[in-house]
Amino acid sequence: MHRRLFMILLVLAFVVVACGDDAATTTTAAPTTTVAPTTTTAGEEVTLRWRTRPDNDQEAGVYRAVSETLDGQLEGITLVYEPGGTETEGYQQALLTQLAGGTAPDVFWIPGADIAQFVGARVILDLRSYADASGHRDADFYPGPMEQLTTDPATGLPGNVLWGLPRDVSAFALYLNLDLIAEAGAADPRQLAAAGDWDWEAFQQVAEAVRALGPDIYGYGQSSWWGPVGFWANSGGGGFFNEDRTACGLDSPGSLAGLAFVQDFYATGAALTYGEDPEPVFKAGNMGMFQNGRWATPGIRTVGFDWDVVKLPDGPGGPSNWLFWGAYVVNANTPYPEQAWRLVQALTTAEVQAQVAELGANIPSRVSQAALDAFLTFTPPENNQAFLDGLAENPVTEAPLWNGDWPAYRDAMQVAVDAVIRGETSIEAFRADICAQLNQYFTP
Amino acid sequence: MTQAPIELEVKLPSAPSPSQPLWLLAVVVWQTVLALAMVAAAVAMVTGALFDLTGLGLVLMAGLALAIAVASGTAVPLMLRHRHSGRAIGVMLDYLVLVLAVFITLQAIGVFRGLDALGATFRRAVPLLAIVILGWLLLGQAERFGSRAERVRRAGKWVMIAGAAAVAVRAGLLPGLAEFFVRLAKPRALLPALVAVASGLAFWSLRRSRAVWLFGSRRHQEEALDGFLFVSPNLLGFAAFFAFPLLFSLFVAFTAWDGLTQITWLGPDNFTKIFSLQFATVDAGQSASDVLKFGYSELARFGSLIVGARDPAFWIALRNISLFAITAVPLAVIPAIGLAALLNTKIPGVRLFRAIYFIPSVAGVLGVALIWKQLYNASVGFINYGLRRLFDLINLLPGVEATAPQPQWLSSRSVALWSIVIFFAWYTVGFNTVLFLAGMQGIPGTLYEAAEIDGASPWQKFRKITVPMLRPTTFFVVATTTILALQVFTEPFILMGPQLPPSGPSNATLTPVVHLYQEGFRRFNQGYASALAWVLFLLIFAITLVYFRRQRKSEAGMG
Repeated sequence: MHRRLFMILLVLAFVVVACGDDAATTTTAAPTTTVAPTTTTAGEEVTLRWRTRPDNDQEAGVYRAVSETLDGQLEGITLVYEPGGTETEGYQQALLTQLAGGTAPDVFWIPGADIAQFVGARVILDLRSYADASGHRDADFYPGPMEQLTTDPATGLPGNVLWGLPRDVSAFALYLNLDLIAEAGAADPRQLAAAGDWDWEAFQQVAEAVRALGPDIYGYGQSSWWGPVGFWANSGGGGFFNEDRTACGLDSPGSLAGLAFVQDFYATGAALTYGEDPEPVFKAGNMGMFQNGRWATPGIRTVGFDWDVVKLPDGPGGPSNWLFWGAYVVNANTPYPEQAWRLVQALTTAEVQAQVAELGANIPSRVSQAALDAFLTFTPPENNQAFLDGLAENPVTEAPLWNGDWPAYRDAMQVAVDAVIRGETSIEAFRADICAQLNQYFTP
Repeated sequence: MTQAPIELEVKLPSAPSPSQPLWLLAVVVWQTVLALAMVAAAVAMVTGALFDLTGLGLVLMAGLALAIAVASGTAVPLMLRHRHSGRAIGVMLDYLVLVLAVFITLQAIGVFRGLDALGATFRRAVPLLAIVILGWLLLGQAERFGSRAERVRRAGKWVMIAGAAAVAVRAGLLPGLAEFFVRLAKPRALLPALVAVASGLAFWSLRRSRAVWLFGSRRHQEEALDGFLFVSPNLLGFAAFFAFPLLFSLFVAFTAWDGLTQITWLGPDNFTKIFSLQFATVDAGQSASDVLKFGYSELARFGSLIVGARDPAFWIALRNISLFAITAVPLAVIPAIGLAALLNTKIPGVRLFRAIYFIPSVAGVLGVALIWKQLYNASVGFINYGLRRLFDLINLLPGVEATAPQPQWLSSRSVALWSIVIFFAWYTVGFNTVLFLAGMQGIPGTLYEAAEIDGASPWQKFRKITVPMLRPTTFFVVATTTILALQVFTEPFILMGPQLPPSGPSNATLTPVVHLYQEGFRRFNQGYASALAWVLFLLIFAITLVYFRRQRKSEAGMG
């Protein structure tokens, strides 16, 4: 009997311990601090939970440190940082489930292309009134993301709304194995870019020269998700959509020119087989040029050869790139919208962005010269300017379809474009059918 | 201990007794209050005064409240007439309300969310567990101390209690306790807590011996009640975590729902979309979109005949999974029989080999898949490297000049599915081997002895004794491996990502579960994903049924 009573008491004790959840999580951030009970009465200390998607443990640690710092700075707000999983660990799935169950954090990060869906589902808050009251200026951030974050879902055009603030931005660059390029006797892409001669033809020459070094050495490699693929269409002067993003644009001459180039280029064998993971090959020192975003930098910093970055080559449509981004948004069901807005602002200050960008995976989303200057000092790579050039020279902003189903469009497009690059579908056959197939994903 | 006279026939009063026991009156009052409160709650939900519910949520919640009200209302007059049925209803109802109210209270207090935090804070208390272990050791070894055994045992017990208390305090008991009462004092937690207390007291009152006597409950009725209460944790778990989600997914399969917004009833549209096909002929110069209806995409082409589908991915997944199952199941089963036969011999080191073959099954599929992903890398992976080195050796032979094949294991449309097959077979064969081994060890040795006397060779013994006697095991292994194969998801998800979608190059590794995952969690079509899940369930059910029938026929034939 006593043993049973003892066990019951023990279980109850742990149930009671579990009640100190907010306090306990705070303790995780600062193990030596004493736990203070949470009070939630309006006007007093409120507890806000927030989450973002770090790319790695190191970045998760920086966000935890940011949370600790802001916890001390934001008066009347106690912060609970909940590190989200990475992309492959189901960040989105966990968030979606929590939103459906009413347990999502007060402030959370979402990818830029998902903004329309979250707005459409009315699970995030319009922050415009709070922003206006606090003296916020949209112009302090890159205009592309802000255009999406101020889009009125009723019209699909910018309106008097604000769905959040961009956490950071990113762009593609070509990571260069300078040792291989020198060994191949090819021109240095950085010098070509500086001279304005870095175009598709020059890119192909460098790739082929490196490829000639041996059967295990590749001139170029790219991942096969929509971003790297889309670059070629954008660079050719086309894109995924028409001008106002109300219909498919993959059958435009510019898009077809880009896809034709990349199809021919892959046919030469200068690139790693399409679909193979290029990152381990590049890191093994077997690839001359590797196209990826700023987020790949921390991993590349560990390689043992001489490396740098260069902007993507100019195509017939001129210089082009993607502007990737994600935003902090506020849960529509938060009981503390005003405090949540203050947290969003605090998370996107130049200081916090610099703290995160120093790790190497991010570029500040603020356009202030101070933020850009600071970013240039976060080396290696030496040529950080390549990323800023990518963001400055006609980038296409990652964006949702306000009048369509982007995930369905993306998946159907991916299969068709993959077939083109692999040489399984001719450009002509692709042109004939692709838009009829994809236009069904737009809302009439 | 007093035994209640439950075997006696009790004359049941036909009308309320003029003097009911006080505890019964309290229970009746509670049941009446509960019934009225639930009716009021249902009305408030329908009018929107309580919660903001619509559609299925409203039907479920208001229905639950009304069901409790009806049950409680029904129990009241029966209790007053001292009928066992009234008591039985009361016991079950109060038990369920108690469980429900406790869960709602804990949720309102935030305990479930706090369990994660407990995991974090418990780490700092781990060193103090040494005190508990010390107490346990003292307790267990007390007999060694002879005359002082009792004193040592008592000391051990108190050391354990002190250790447990220290662990709880270090893990955050005191702030947790303060927080517990602060949160409990709030109405949203206090109200369900009071309901839990009231229903708990009513349950306890109705379960006492005097209630058994008063209601004239018989032994078999008591046993039935006890039985239901004993299995209730399992039943409640089954209902909450299996039956309800299953039925809910069936409902969702007939709707359009993104998991966040309002559910829209569609009827059978999702299923219609899955199976919609269109056949058309295409002339020279025409494209698929010229001849297919809006919403249909090209699935296959046979000369001038074109087959369109509203969801071509479903048919592609069906084709892939058929190919996958046809190849992966034999590869995971047939070698397992051979390995089991080898491991069933008395060769030296056989136990070590048994462990080695079983290792893949105990390793996490996710971690193992990541290793295979590296092995499969066509450029820097070990498999292609091994092939190159192997052919280097072969080329040392005079007159031989062969080129090492370098398959694009994961990026080639024609190879990717087979890469998954190889991994699946490798991962599953060890577990199947253990099952076959267990089956073989259950075959009576006399059969083999008799065969040996008759001069049977090892192969004949295997073919004529082992294989037939393994039939039930083979059936089980084939059925479970087939089900696993038809549900394959983690393997393509990990091996293909993140540079490719889990559907692989040109949808080469698209399987039904990958397809429903993409629909449900990448495109947020929970309704359509549920419909796909049910189609897959029916497919697996049908295949399993065929297996069962064949097994029965086979057994009948043997009999």
